[in-house]
Amino acid sequence: MDDPISGLIRRAQGGDVGSFSELLDLHYGTIYRIAWKWCGHRSNAEDITQQSCIKLASSLAQYQFRAAFTSWLYQLVISCARDWQRAQQRHEHEALPADELTSDGSGRSEDYIYLVQLLDQLDEIGEGMKETALLVHAEGLSHAEAGQILGVSESTISWRIHAIRKHMNKAEALMSGGV
Amino acid sequence: MKAQSFEYQLQHAIAPMPDPVAHLLAKTAAVAEFERVHGAAGRAISPPAASDAGSWPRRLFLRGSRRHVASKRGSRNLLLGGFASACVVVIAVSTYWLVPPGQRQVLVPPPVTSRLEPEAGGDLAPPVAKASDADLLPPRVVTEAKPEPQQPPIVSRVGPDHPQKTPRSRVAHPKGPSLPAQTGASPAAAPEPSEVGITTTENEAEIVVAADKTPATANAGTSAPIAALPAVTNRAATNHGVGSELNEIIVTGARRKSWLSGLFSRNEAAPTQQMSLPPGYTAEGRDKFEHFEVNPVRRVADEPVSTFSADVDTASYSFVRRELNGGRLPQVDSVRVEEMINYFDYTWPASDSRDQPFKPTVTVSDSPWGEGKKLIHIGIKGYELPVRQQPDVNLVLLLDVSGSMDEPDKLPLAQKSMALLLDTLKPTDTVAIVVYAGAAGEVLPPTAIKDKETILQALNSLQPGGSTAGAEGIKLAYALAERNFRKDGVNRILLATDGDFNVGITNQNELKGFVEREREKGVFLSFLGFGEGNYHDEMGQVLAQNGNGVAAYIDTLNEAKKVLVQESTASLFTIAKDVKFQVEFNPATVAEYRLIGYETRALKREDFNNDKVDAGDVGSGHAVTAIYEITPVGSKAKLIDERRYAGSEETHSQQSKGTEYGFLKIRYKLPNGFRSRLIEQPIRIDAGVPEALRSNVEFSTAVAGFGQLLRGGKYTGPLKFDDVIRQARGALGEDPFGYRAEFLSLVHKAKDARGM
Repeated sequence: MDDPISGLIRRAQGGDVGSFSELLDLHYGTIYRIAWKWCGHRSNAEDITQQSCIKLASSLAQYQFRAAFTSWLYQLVISCARDWQRAQQRHEHEALPADELTSDGSGRSEDYIYLVQLLDQLDEIGEGMKETALLVHAEGLSHAEAGQILGVSESTISWRIHAIRKHMNKAEALMSGGV
Repeated sequence: MKAQSFEYQLQHAIAPMPDPVAHLLAKTAAVAEFERVHGAAGRAISPPAASDAGSWPRRLFLRGSRRHVASKRGSRNLLLGGFASACVVVIAVSTYWLVPPGQRQVLVPPPVTSRLEPEAGGDLAPPVAKASDADLLPPRVVTEAKPEPQQPPIVSRVGPDHPQKTPRSRVAHPKGPSLPAQTGASPAAAPEPSEVGITTTENEAEIVVAADKTPATANAGTSAPIAALPAVTNRAATNHGVGSELNEIIVTGARRKSWLSGLFSRNEAAPTQQMSLPPGYTAEGRDKFEHFEVNPVRRVADEPVSTFSADVDTASYSFVRRELNGGRLPQVDSVRVEEMINYFDYTWPASDSRDQPFKPTVTVSDSPWGEGKKLIHIGIKGYELPVRQQPDVNLVLLLDVSGSMDEPDKLPLAQKSMALLLDTLKPTDTVAIVVYAGAAGEVLPPTAIKDKETILQALNSLQPGGSTAGAEGIKLAYALAERNFRKDGVNRILLATDGDFNVGITNQNELKGFVEREREKGVFLSFLGFGEGNYHDEMGQVLAQNGNGVAAYIDTLNEAKKVLVQESTASLFTIAKDVKFQVEFNPATVAEYRLIGYETRALKREDFNNDKVDAGDVGSGHAVTAIYEITPVGSKAKLIDERRYAGSEETHSQQSKGTEYGFLKIRYKLPNGFRSRLIEQPIRIDAGVPEALRSNVEFSTAVAGFGQLLRGGKYTGPLKFDDVIRQARGALGEDPFGYRAEFLSLVHKAKDARGM
């Protein structure tokens, strides 16, 4: 992180509302993007984003400049997203109707459906797989960075990426074989 | 069409532009939270003045935050006036501000509007928000008859409705119209709007608030802002306030899912019953207990060694008492005989040094229910720390404030209990309060006991509502305890709940692992169970056992006094941890044995010497009593036949020790120790019962007999409740707090309950 941001963070940690507000504006897009990719659904992403913003307010003081702020932010958003999902999972029967996915008004609904399916698939492979894939593939982070954010070693990330690839290959083969 | 690789898909998944309104709302909520965190740690605790109308918006936003609980009091103060039960149905549409005033229709009851509008316009603008924010906030309050024409034309879209949600919601008094209203109102309303400059979020969920005869004015005051908030700040499962104030809330709309689900999750299990039942209703029979089989009789020749962990929990006794006081026999699995025995204080000789914190006492007496059998009592009493030596306490109270706690014997009792506890602490000890419901929140940062008023105020301000996110609460509590960690002190979390963890880590093993890891760091956990109908005993046991703590069940204030005041030192100050018992019986003198109770505490023989294996802990002044029933060699009372081909050599090799029934070993660790120490003592045939210990032995035997009878009396032969009464009556001892006398009345009640 460059200096202006660090200064902003420090002032916000000191309790300056203006700085916090600015910091939030600067990162809202990032948070929202992560959240959206995490769930592939706009309003859910807004839910997660809002939770993340609130959490940012309460836990910014805990940021100690040891990692890049965005890494720390990733961590925060992912944890909010997971909390959110756990809450959702308790009510799976209440799943979103499919039409909700297409009514985003952006004309990219097909992509969303693929993304949501893909995310579900990743979730099924195992815990942490979705996060790993998102950080590495969607956010373009290195294995080391992703490992730092997810609190696992770099080699674990590499292994997960490999495992996901393997799983996906198998799933694809299965699908094309069936046709 | 060939699907792209998943990597490609991920790389090219482009998030849509964030919605500016959502951005603004999130920011406003976050800033409010930020201000709260930085504003004043102290002020966060004191309830806002009821007249402080300007603080409305702030509180509203806090509802959307994780810290909602501390803040919701103000609104309660405003509203609670005894009007807890009218049926006002309000549909709040958050797009209210877009509707020309002339079109606002408020049918039920008229006062709602008149009252609401000024409030909405004036108070809702958050101090931190810009003028434009204020515009977004005022909710739209209309009745269920509210048709979609009222929907503002520029709203991006109206979420599809979910009629199927309705049954899940908790409707105490399902007013006919309210249900149809949800289904009717919105689907048709979805004139897909053209994308207009600002794409408004899909906020237009209707919120149907069915309150219980609340005077309309007051009701409107809350329901409107609250209704708006979820819609606006999105549902952070915040509606405890609503839940408790208005009793019921129904929400529809496409996007209400997340907070809605948090809010109502508790009611899923029994949605239909709750539909028509009064608020006082408790769900019976959903108390969860771990099933276990009674310890069987074992043959010494086959299995000479018996190993188990200490248990100082008392939850089972309290639960049994509660059931019996209600005129019912308790569920068999709720009866853990050792917990009943250990509920009572026995005057086993205590050790006088902290280094060897206890010494065992062994007595041998005749079994009252098995002719020819003997009972071996093993009693230990923990060293009692003098007050001067009591270490500093860093206590985090973790209170469940979910909707299920909204019964007189739950949260209110927990609050009173905790208040009692404060009196037992030193002025320099600290207490923090964390609550959990839909979301977890810190209500009170670590505060020294000398500021007792502050603590009490925070404690008493808690109100139940919402679902239970127990796991998050636990995490937060641990974080707080660690932040305030006292190296040489007691760092403990006291969890008060009905055990209903229905959001967050719900997997018991996951939770267990978490508590275990925290234990390694030196933060322990004790569990106080409250209420019935939904009581998850198993969860409490798991948490306390893995958190080096006590699990107690609090059914009355008296019980709270016992656990938290009279035994506070025991509950707080561990003097020995991982206390394990192992008895090796002498095949020359004992044919069969049976451990009474401790089924859930059994350890493998090899675990005894393995310091990695966790076991029970003993607090300052705690007494632990275990009873074996043995059948001496040569007694006709034997249940198991001799083995025809058994070698005789094993028996003969023991001949030299014919004066002993067995050999007792106890392993324990000092509270900060990692290596166990060993205490050994033979169990002599002629141990007898010293006169000074007679009432201890008699009374514990009576309790053991009672517990076994409640479990079905598989091994107690002719024993009857009357025999228990007779034996207990003769052994009341000093009984300064009347616990033993109470036991007598319980046996009478059990007798009556069985008679029915």
